[in-house]
Amino acid sequence: MFGYIYTLLPAMIDGLITTLKVFFITLILSIPLGILVSIGRLSKIKLISKTTELYIWVMRGTPLMLQIVFVFFGLPIIGITFDRFTAVLIAFILNYAAYFGEIFRGGMESIDKGQYEAAKVLGLTPYKTFIRIILPQMFKMVLPSIANEVITLVKDTSLVYIVGIGELLRAGKIASNRDVSLIPLAMVGIIYLLLTAIFTGIFNKTERRYSYYE
Amino acid sequence: MKKKNYFIMLLVILIFSIVSLTGCSNETASNKDSYDDLEEKGEIIMGLDDTFAPMGFRDDKGELVGFDVDLAKEVFERAGFEVKLQPIDWTMKETELNSGNIDVIWNGYSITEERKEKVAFTQAYLENRQIIVTLAGSSINTKTDLEGKKVAVQSESSALEAVNQEPEIVATFDGGEPVLFDTNHEAIMDLEAGRVDAVVGDEVLVRYYVKQKNPEDYKILEEDFGEEEYGIGLRKEDKKLLKLLNETLDEMREDGSYDKIYEKWFEGK
Amino acid sequence: MVLQVDGLNKSFGDKAVLKDVSFQLNTGEILAIIGPSGAGKTTILRCINGLEKSDKGTIKIDGAYLCRDHNNKITYATSEEMKFIRKRIGLVFQNYNLFPHMSVMENIIEAPINAFGIPKVEAEDKALELLNIMGLTDKRDSYPFELSGGQKQRVAIARACALNPKIMCLDEPTSALDPELREGIANIIEDLAKDNMGVLIITHDMAFAERVAHKIIFMEDGKIIKEDSKDDFFNNLKDERIKRFIT
Repeated sequence: MFGYIYTLLPAMIDGLITTLKVFFITLILSIPLGILVSIGRLSKIKLISKTTELYIWVMRGTPLMLQIVFVFFGLPIIGITFDRFTAVLIAFILNYAAYFGEIFRGGMESIDKGQYEAAKVLGLTPYKTFIRIILPQMFKMVLPSIANEVITLVKDTSLVYIVGIGELLRAGKIASNRDVSLIPLAMVGIIYLLLTAIFTGIFNKTERRYSYYE
Repeated sequence: MKKKNYFIMLLVILIFSIVSLTGCSNETASNKDSYDDLEEKGEIIMGLDDTFAPMGFRDDKGELVGFDVDLAKEVFERAGFEVKLQPIDWTMKETELNSGNIDVIWNGYSITEERKEKVAFTQAYLENRQIIVTLAGSSINTKTDLEGKKVAVQSESSALEAVNQEPEIVATFDGGEPVLFDTNHEAIMDLEAGRVDAVVGDEVLVRYYVKQKNPEDYKILEEDFGEEEYGIGLRKEDKKLLKLLNETLDEMREDGSYDKIYEKWFEGK
Repeated sequence: MVLQVDGLNKSFGDKAVLKDVSFQLNTGEILAIIGPSGAGKTTILRCINGLEKSDKGTIKIDGAYLCRDHNNKITYATSEEMKFIRKRIGLVFQNYNLFPHMSVMENIIEAPINAFGIPKVEAEDKALELLNIMGLTDKRDSYPFELSGGQKQRVAIARACALNPKIMCLDEPTSALDPELREGIANIIEDLAKDNMGVLIITHDMAFAERVAHKIIFMEDGKIIKEDSKDDFFNNLKDERIKRFIT
């Protein structure tokens, strides 16, 4: 049994690397984009806020799976072609930026108006106010929601199978079909659990770091 | 929601439908034979489901192997092409083909009337039956015994099509329709778990699974849901490539190299 | 004269909140604006600090115009002029609005460093000096949630003083304080005035106004009803509306 698990490891690790690539690239790019989305959503310029609202509605209102299919198979029809991995990343980033954007918006709206006013009378520019006063407070507030999304993202990465990219879950399915055994799928489950345990730990630590004030 | 938002919503739905409609018409409209382009590249992209043992799957070193993979490598080598194996999701195979992401579908791809409308098939290179498998102790011995039973089939598969060719039998199933699974393996696992009573699937696959498990635990019925054949799927407009593949397959049957590959994968069946 | 307000008008929608308000504040003077809630006291403070834009009228701060009437049209300070003005006027909010994620020290040096480019060492020296005056030297690394109400208020005053303003505004400074702390804040305000600041206090606390102010303005319904030196104001309470408010 352990010998069998050992033979499965190389394929699993290959799959895991793809999973982590999709995970980290999505996370690193969708969080800043999400901040922009939340700013756009709160913009006083109607055109910007309405466009952002529409974008959020489409991204949250349709399944991520559909968006991946649309980017990879749909866009080439109008002449925009991406390779498989890029298409998947674009869909993931756009989708997660919409979710993060709404979380950040909630965080920003929950910050007391007095904070903006205090910054203003002290002479801080709107940009400095945002970077130094609003953003740090917002991050603390949205941390639990962000943690939720991150855990969801770990599991959503398996959706890349729709364009034929091999990731962790697919590696498990291949071995399972080949060897007619459930052990590979059990292994995949354990690896996902380990991943979410690690990320949960990181978030708990971050939350503790932010708990120096109330 | 305000009136204005309804308007925006309608607009988006409209845009979506236009894009998808033009998409459909585009696919049928571009009827250029791509052989010259392929020849220039010297490479054929072969789409396969890499979870599909024993036709195409990954061995424990992660290499793509299988009957279809060996056969394809030999065919394309003779035809003067490099072959690039592209894993795809099986439910997207025709979309992958028609959008040009892959050039052939070659992975236990059964020739059916419905599929003939979407793709062009080569000659059949392997015969296959849609067999019915149950647990060894089951009381099911004929198709009529399936009445009131739960019958599992892989979704989007030729087995499903074959079953649906006999609607009077499907109507007697528990629930009036087959239970659908993503893969044959999942269907067979459910059979083992006793949640379904029978599985209908491609003979080569089912026999492979049964052999991997314990053959004595299973019973394969004599009756089946029809015979069928595996072919290679191409874009309809790629007539030159079709001719070339047919000729190469003939050649390999004649010189015995086909039998060699067949024996490697299906000996002892 | 460090602050001059002339003919100030402000409406929210069709409700006029300020009707032709004019007054002045001199260097070293403590002016208390009193009156019932809804009289427009806070709106004056917000206009002077650029948190609301007035509809009509002139506000002049240490020689610079925050807004002025020109050919019947109001013009506002440019962002360059605004920077000058911000440096000359400080505001202590009713609920202080300290930055909760920053320590006491960080709260005080934030604006000098990040809005006015003052070197960190210099800003910290000034902050320590202010904390010393406020009796909060040992709290420099505490966070706002660790402080009592009175301590928070003193940090807010220190923060507003960090750029050596000419005018200090306090919105309801006694509203959140225990009675025994009122004398302390009164002393601090007096010290600010002795340092040649003009101090403007918004309050509905008559006793506190009587304790610290040099000059009193009584407002009701967006208008100044009475403006007088403290002694004359409290010795001569003929007006029915003022009497009603005080008793």
